[in-house]
Amino acid sequence: MTKQSKPLNESSPAATLQNIPFSSNAIRLSLSDWFIVLAVCAILLTIVPALWDRIEKTANPIDFRLPYQLGEDYWSFSRDCRQFSQGRETLVIGDSVIWGHYVPAEQTLSHYLNQIHGGQNFVNLGVDGIHPAALSGLLRYYGKAISHKNIILHFNPLWLSSAQHDLQAHKEFSFNHPKLVPQFFPRIPSYRETFSNRLGIAASRHLPFSGWVNHLHITCFDGLDIPSWTIEHPYQNPLTEITLGSSISDDDFKYDQISWYDRDISKRDLEWVELATSFQWYCFKKSIEVLQKRDNRVFIVVGPFNEHLLNEKSLFVYQEIKVKIETWFRHNEIDYYIPLLLPSEYYADASHPLGEGYAMLAEQLYANESFASEILNSPVPGLENR
Amino acid sequence: MLFHTWIFLFFFLIVYPVYIAVKKTKLKELWLLIASYTFYGWWNPLYLFLIAYSTIVDYFVVTKMARSKRRKIWLSLSITNNLILLSFFKYGTFFAENLNLLLSSLKIPYAFDMPDVLLPVGISFFIFQSMSYTIDYYRGRIEREKSIIRYAVFVSLFSQLVAGPIERAKNLLPQLRQTPKISTQDISDGLSLFIVGLFKKVALADYLALYVDKVYDVPEQYQGPALLLATFCFSWQIYFDFSGYTDMARGVARMMGFRLMLNFNNPYLATGLGDFWSRWHISLSTWFKDYVYIPLGGNRKGQFNTYKNMFLAMIISGLWHGAAWTFVIWGTLHALGRILTRDLERTEYYQKKVPKIIKQILVFTFVTFAWIFFRAANFSDACLIVSNIFSFDLADPAIPLLLLALIFSVWLYQFAYESRARIILELRTVRIATVILMIFYLVICASPSNQPFIYFQF
Repeated sequence: MTKQSKPLNESSPAATLQNIPFSSNAIRLSLSDWFIVLAVCAILLTIVPALWDRIEKTANPIDFRLPYQLGEDYWSFSRDCRQFSQGRETLVIGDSVIWGHYVPAEQTLSHYLNQIHGGQNFVNLGVDGIHPAALSGLLRYYGKAISHKNIILHFNPLWLSSAQHDLQAHKEFSFNHPKLVPQFFPRIPSYRETFSNRLGIAASRHLPFSGWVNHLHITCFDGLDIPSWTIEHPYQNPLTEITLGSSISDDDFKYDQISWYDRDISKRDLEWVELATSFQWYCFKKSIEVLQKRDNRVFIVVGPFNEHLLNEKSLFVYQEIKVKIETWFRHNEIDYYIPLLLPSEYYADASHPLGEGYAMLAEQLYANESFASEILNSPVPGLENR
Repeated sequence: MLFHTWIFLFFFLIVYPVYIAVKKTKLKELWLLIASYTFYGWWNPLYLFLIAYSTIVDYFVVTKMARSKRRKIWLSLSITNNLILLSFFKYGTFFAENLNLLLSSLKIPYAFDMPDVLLPVGISFFIFQSMSYTIDYYRGRIEREKSIIRYAVFVSLFSQLVAGPIERAKNLLPQLRQTPKISTQDISDGLSLFIVGLFKKVALADYLALYVDKVYDVPEQYQGPALLLATFCFSWQIYFDFSGYTDMARGVARMMGFRLMLNFNNPYLATGLGDFWSRWHISLSTWFKDYVYIPLGGNRKGQFNTYKNMFLAMIISGLWHGAAWTFVIWGTLHALGRILTRDLERTEYYQKKVPKIIKQILVFTFVTFAWIFFRAANFSDACLIVSNIFSFDLADPAIPLLLLALIFSVWLYQFAYESRARIILELRTVRIATVILMIFYLVICASPSNQPFIYFQF
């Protein structure tokens, strides 16, 4: 005889709980099902970006530089770092001055260094618009492949020229590459992203597929997420846009190669920040630290800032800053070079040279003893015994 | 904080392990209360005064009811207090605007100042939940909750605080009294509910919002086809948004060992308006049935009174959704629709001869039409949209085909779920594959727009 369980009173709490339907769909997984799901997703989200990296055709022209539109494609930067870290090339890293904001790729500093030296020994890994605070994040999270290399790291004094440039202004404003700057500490007063989004940004730096998805959006969907892209292209199939080979290039980029005084830029009295309290300088030092910890040989180039644009007072302060920078490099035994001022007509604005300016800068660098001994004549770190 | 944000993940990763550690101790309820108040206060710490006040008053009222013979007076105090809170915070501006309009039309040279009051998130939900407790106690349907902490948790439990489901005391309080038993199935069930909710909200609702907002923000710039499709999309947007939130709420609660009621049951498969309201926002429609419709007399006093009571309940339901005449019109449309079709739906002809798909299409069409008044910014926009839809223009609506494909896929899934094809959907491989596809879609395609939930404004 089977034991009959006591029937539940229909209005009892237990009966009420039992009567609550689970859901209005069939998606109900057991714990083992969830393990399968998570395992499959983890594998797919690891394998797909890795496979994409291998399969995607990348342009590798002479005078390489990251296309302008890929400036926020940190996954591409990471891939380029891996690619160029395998050989003997010297990596030239910096902001739009290195990238060559006003000039085509064949008129940048790295191009002229290659021209003087012969071959393709200098690789342009500049990122347009990247300031030191963002560069520090870029190298830390996306430049991990850069190790045992000779590096020319550029510092643009423009980032000390005002509280806003130094990210110390209190009024909120939008600056470049916010996803690369420190999200929590040190605090950036003008950065007002929500706490939740900052958590997301910080998390995404450690999720490889996150960078790959961003890469997909930038290269295939005009920088938009897919839903927003379909709103702009309602009748197009998004799948057909996904191609293994980015068509993005700077071929149609228009370079505004006129000197600063032809742009009606007048002499300025810049509000230079103190070097000791400068946030951008602090971050630049962090970049050096990150690169050195990865056994890279780092050679710093500072400027050349367009001093012709400064009034007397501002010029005096700038000279003092240069002295302090030099003192710091000497004290910390970091090899550096502060180029001589270029002719006025060779500047496009406060910090960017024109083509002739880059050529002159390359010659100055090449002739510099410290540069010659540290970069030209020293073996690549890690390849000394080869 | 929204369920689909990083901050909620961060919050839950702190709350949940501590909850597991203390669930068998007296600290359980205190921890839930701290977590819930932190969750609610994240929007605005001032809201905490409001919820605490409402909680203390209703707790006090029921305590007095237990010791007093004049229970009705205490009940009236609770209801009055709750309605005053709602009126002030939610309807203050609406009343002031309409009074001023009336005064102006009567040429009386006086105008009330517009109260500059922040509308607390979720006020309609937790006040209704709290009211249900006092009313049910008055009716003798539940025991008095002696612990003010536990009662405060009942009112403020973070998983369902800001947008429901509106839980009944007889369902939730007993669960809070017991030591929660959390099995591995509860965790996996909770995750299952959560992932479906997350997909509905982030992948579907937020995507639909891109098109709907584009059209409804400037309806005068669009012709019939775009307005029609935007309205169609809004039907699905509000469903995915709200049911997605509820799924996530239930998922979170399930992982904590609580079972919250089902709030949406494939409402667009309804075969009649009565059926629709038994599938849409179930916790609210049952609340109105139990606390408005039935106390008014329900269907016990003849056909006229039945219709009158249905009408009033629907109008109040419309007004509950928002302080604007468009919501009243929406409620009125549903009331009229319900009244006009109630007897029809009971006829043998309708039940047996009209194909199910036709019934579903008719109900969906009516519901979608009513949504125009729900979504439009104001009455004149709603009228413009209606008139332009029926102008039969043939302009290009420029609606993403992917969007339509997604809606169709979901509709097909729901249709299959309520048919014999359900056994295919319940196959283990199909369930697992569906979740994998959802996660992949979320990772690659979802818009990071962080749109707030529509029902938070209520």
